Amino acid sequence: MSEVIFTVEGVSKHYPPRWALQDVSFSVQRGEVFGLIGPNGAGKTTLFECLAGLSPIEGGVIRLHQQPVTPARRKEALFYMPDGFTPWAAQTVKWALSFFEKLYRSSKDGAVELASDLKLNGLLDSRIGSLSKGERKRLLLALGMLTPQPLLMLDEPFDGLDYRQTREVMDLLRRHAARGRTLMLSIHQLVDAARVCDRLLLLSDGRVVGEGTVGELRAKANLGGATLPEVSLEEIFLALT
Amino acid sequence: MRLLSRLPILFSKEWRELMASRAFWLMLLAVGPLVGHGFVNAVDLYAEASGIGGGPAALAQGLTPLDGILAPTFGSYDLALTLLFPFVAIRLIASEKESGALKLMLQFPSSPGELVAAKVVSLIMGWLIVWLPGLIAVAMWRAYGGHLYAPETLNLLLGHCLRMLLGGGVALAAAAIAESAASAAIVTLGFTIGTWALDFIAAGRGGWLAVLAANTPTAALRYFEQGLLRLNTVIVMLILALAGFALAAIWLQTGHRLRSRLFRTLALLIFTTVVAWFGSLTRASWDMSENRRNSFSKTDEAALRQIREPMRITINLAAEDPRLTDYERGILNKLRRILPRLEIFYVAQSRTGLFEGQEAIYGEIWYELGGRKVMNRSTTEPIIIEQLYQLAGITAPANSDEPVFSGYPLAAHPRGARLIFYALWPMIVIFIWRLARHFRR
Repeated sequence: MSEVIFTVEGVSKHYPPRWALQDVSFSVQRGEVFGLIGPNGAGKTTLFECLAGLSPIEGGVIRLHQQPVTPARRKEALFYMPDGFTPWAAQTVKWALSFFEKLYRSSKDGAVELASDLKLNGLLDSRIGSLSKGERKRLLLALGMLTPQPLLMLDEPFDGLDYRQTREVMDLLRRHAARGRTLMLSIHQLVDAARVCDRLLLLSDGRVVGEGTVGELRAKANLGGATLPEVSLEEIFLALT
Repeated sequence: MRLLSRLPILFSKEWRELMASRAFWLMLLAVGPLVGHGFVNAVDLYAEASGIGGGPAALAQGLTPLDGILAPTFGSYDLALTLLFPFVAIRLIASEKESGALKLMLQFPSSPGELVAAKVVSLIMGWLIVWLPGLIAVAMWRAYGGHLYAPETLNLLLGHCLRMLLGGGVALAAAAIAESAASAAIVTLGFTIGTWALDFIAAGRGGWLAVLAANTPTAALRYFEQGLLRLNTVIVMLILALAGFALAAIWLQTGHRLRSRLFRTLALLIFTTVVAWFGSLTRASWDMSENRRNSFSKTDEAALRQIREPMRITINLAAEDPRLTDYERGILNKLRRILPRLEIFYVAQSRTGLFEGQEAIYGEIWYELGGRKVMNRSTTEPIIIEQLYQLAGITAPANSDEPVFSGYPLAAHPRGARLIFYALWPMIVIFIWRLARHFRR
């Protein structure tokens, strides 16, 4: 799990009068679950949109396998699933799954399996607009997992899920990553982030304030030799931001 | 995945979205009574003119189904294209922008051009459904024993099809550029009102303003309603529609900087202007009307085609003077089609001509050819043609033995039309709408 597939170097984004991202640099390794954490307004969603090529950047380079990749070609390398939106509200869950399956030529079994894993079977004939927040989140996760790009970026994948569902989705994501797909998750619940992610990027005010495993972040925060749960990610977060 | 595999998938999605759109069904619901009203009135008026009261037909030669039935019936579609269709087209982009679905679509393995193309194809297919009341009206006219001349009917349908594409281009571009559906609607309606203003301002004027005004959606459609197929009108309408679609594709690319999108917009505008300008200079046109209303007689045309030198016509008639309207329709439109080097100058200073009466020159029309100049105030075809022969030194041909168009009077009642368009159509649309909602589940 040491091959770097995705590198971000000095990415900046300006929303006048302030900088939403400043000189953000990090790298992601193949097959890892990479977490993006930070307080509200830290720039997590902006970073995802810039990486996905949906929003232009003021500076910096994004590389795939060390080669710079233009915004137009990024969709070949990664797929970004935003949070808190309701696409195609009048259509059904079954249609959405089938649409992604056909568009990306995913296996039909894969869609059926995902629908089962994410407990969407009972909702197949429901309109997307009528789903609850958690149901919609499970559908969006399924759609994201039906895409074939090597890197999948999920914005708040556990938002709206209850505790049991969160655990189940975590297991599912880990299994997904174990098949060789790299995941990048933006998570505001630090407990969840610590539980599911291999490495973390801590953003604050649009700047990177830490990158690495929980242990590496702890060392950076200079919180002594205590181990989790004695020194939680929350304390590291507070120390670094 | 190849383009040909992707497009049907994208089209199927756009089609479902269109079918799920209330705006589309409301347009479909409204268009039946609108078309029906136009058709019923047209058939009634046609019957009156044909002497349904027991008298003789008033002007049998003037009774053509193109003017009497087709243009007023399909005229309702112009209203629908102006006031209803833009909202349907705008929704296809605006709803995805507002819901956030566009963020997913921009990551699909398709270019923004393909995304727009799928939307355009679904709009065209949707519009074909909207045409159903018009086609039913045409079928009913035939059932009443009415006459139809295929070339002029198909030409009119082509005009409405191009008008729809142009309207779709403007609406999709507005939806892609504007932040919200409301802003896009304002931009689209602003464009339409702007073209009406241009039509009004350019009436009775020459130069580039007249060229622009001749290609506004309403003015362009008028040619088709008169049975005229002008290549330049077709080229300009198509180019403008395609430019609208291309503009939509440029502005959907949110990942590109504003400067880059503005630069590409400018390049597109320059390209479109150049192509449209050159397209507008093409002279080829075909008179598709059965009564050859856009042409002189074949013998006169053959004789007038001998004029190779540039001809200059200076008209001192105001834009709203009915003589100018007669002259435009009866003479200028025909001359434009056969004289390759015709220059027309409008020199009246006012719109109505009411206050130019003190000037003795008001009403004069000057013809210049090869250094010779002659004035004539007439707007009547035989007098003008005679004048042109004299000016050009051409011997007038013998009287034409072409058969005279005798018209198609028909004193028929619009039987069953009210029931179909005002009652059955709305009921069927509502029923299918509900059925479609059910089957989407």
